[in-house]
Amino acid sequence: MSTAALLQSILNGLALAGIYILVALGLTLVLSIMGIVQVAHGEIYMIGAYSVYYMFVALGLNFFLAIVISTLLIGGLGVFLERSCFRPFRGQPDRALTISIGLILILQNVVLSIAGGHPRSYTSPFPGVLKILGISISWERLIIVLVGLVLLIALFLFIRTTKTGQAMLAISQERDGAALQGINIDRISALAMFLGCALAAIAGALIGALFSIYPTMGSFALMKGITVIILGGLGSISGAVVGGLIIGLIDGVMPVLTTTYIAGLIGFATIIIILIFRPQGIWGHE
Amino acid sequence: MNKRIMISLLSYGILIVCICFLPFFFPGPYHLHVLILTMMNIILASSLRLINLSGQLSLAHGGMMTIGAYTSTLLVMKLGFSSWLALLMAGFFPAVIACLVGFPFVRLKGIYFAIVTIFLGEMIVLTAGQWRSLTGGSSGIFNIPRPNPLVIPGIVNITFSSKVDFYYLAFVLMLISLLILYAVENSRIGLTLRGIQQTDSLAESVGINTAGFKVLAFTIGCFFPGLIGGFYSQYISAINPDTFGFLFTIYLLVYMTVGGAERFIGPILGAFILTIFPEVTRPLKAFVPFFFAAVLMVVIFFMPEGIAGLPERLHKAIRKLLEKKTNHA
Repeated sequence: MSTAALLQSILNGLALAGIYILVALGLTLVLSIMGIVQVAHGEIYMIGAYSVYYMFVALGLNFFLAIVISTLLIGGLGVFLERSCFRPFRGQPDRALTISIGLILILQNVVLSIAGGHPRSYTSPFPGVLKILGISISWERLIIVLVGLVLLIALFLFIRTTKTGQAMLAISQERDGAALQGINIDRISALAMFLGCALAAIAGALIGALFSIYPTMGSFALMKGITVIILGGLGSISGAVVGGLIIGLIDGVMPVLTTTYIAGLIGFATIIIILIFRPQGIWGHE
Repeated sequence: MNKRIMISLLSYGILIVCICFLPFFFPGPYHLHVLILTMMNIILASSLRLINLSGQLSLAHGGMMTIGAYTSTLLVMKLGFSSWLALLMAGFFPAVIACLVGFPFVRLKGIYFAIVTIFLGEMIVLTAGQWRSLTGGSSGIFNIPRPNPLVIPGIVNITFSSKVDFYYLAFVLMLISLLILYAVENSRIGLTLRGIQQTDSLAESVGINTAGFKVLAFTIGCFFPGLIGGFYSQYISAINPDTFGFLFTIYLLVYMTVGGAERFIGPILGAFILTIFPEVTRPLKAFVPFFFAAVLMVVIFFMPEGIAGLPERLHKAIRKLLEKKTNHA
């Protein structure tokens, strides 16, 4: 295989990693603040893709404007879901899990009845390729990597430097202790859901530029997101980044080197082996 | 005490007789199919609960069913085994696999264990789809022979040519499975598993081999999905890798949680209600998923212990109400 093809597949892997990391960050935020695995996260991502599709294709809005509006709307949806569905079950993983399975059914079927089951796609908002040193890089993938990077840095700075971010960190470490220090857990939980859903919505909008979208697309993203946060270590942002890079590169590069089947098998086996030797994930701590 | 046991035995007897006569009231193939599915789901959700009893959540049930289905099919079609022996092997083979992978897996706790079982299930499904020479690839295997006829000259001649025969087979499987699961749960093993579920480290500190017991629960819990996978392939007479996907496993988890994972009756009730319910509401077509979701959410919101915990809660609520009244008076 030529070097150019390898570099190309690495870039594809990085673009996938960007999507996985965005999805995984939302999951890990909700998990560490509220102590629940929000499996309807994939559906939030799917709705993000559809809302941008409608605004960009049907209403003819500017692509970035569409992303901003849909992100805010879906963040609002997240706040609503936190208030109505998840607040009573904070710290009760199994019941919250069942609630979110109910949400999966509802959200998927709402979109199915509005948009229909057939896959849709939009013409790429960033056509063309960038040629550097003989390898051609499509703008879409480059922009996904860049957007992912910017959001990541912004989130990191938000959590490290602002008071609200520190409050989130405190809750993820010790919920009762944080509450005793006067941190408003309800408010921070709503914020976590807002951020998580907003990130998923952006990821959905970006994946729509690469692949076609359909109502059940969320389960794939959820699977990848969960894999990433488990691999990286639950509740850790750096872990989600490392995990996302590993899984993204495996998914981007392995199919080029071998068959898709072997690539899939190697992916699963790698994760099982990493977890057996390091049960708390790469970046996690007990 | 003796009287109570008598009464409960009697009521179980009546229930069994009722289920035996059910096909006479619902003779249509569609009704029978739903009833067979219900009984399958009851076994599956109950076996999931046995693993849950040790404080672990396994999501490999779909994968184990796939192994069971292919084991039974290949033994019958390629090696000419009797279908009954193949059915038994369909249970044993997944159990052996569960036992082998169990030892490294049970080192992981909580959601980590759940996640490796998901991956195990996915790897099995992926392999079944790719190993074309053995499994027929993603299109699967068709025309799987029906179970060998059961013949006792002059008395019984069951040929498995109609759905009613399969109904009774499923019923017998369900009875045996539930008896085994009940016996395991109420034996010393079950008690130990509950201890491990409550406090893992304490159980270990009093000399219980927690890893061993967890693997045991995982192994027994994976026997039944294999068995049902084998049964289903003989019943439908076709199998492909996507028959028991990840969503299927998630539904089993929902049956268990909605029914109530605390009690033995929980998954039985959950599987029964949630399998029958979408079929009853089928005339509503596109709204069925919404109703399913609504039932799910109502149960989770208002019944913390699932449907099975409802009688006890009602009992408590009524007693509280009565006490209030007497206090006022």
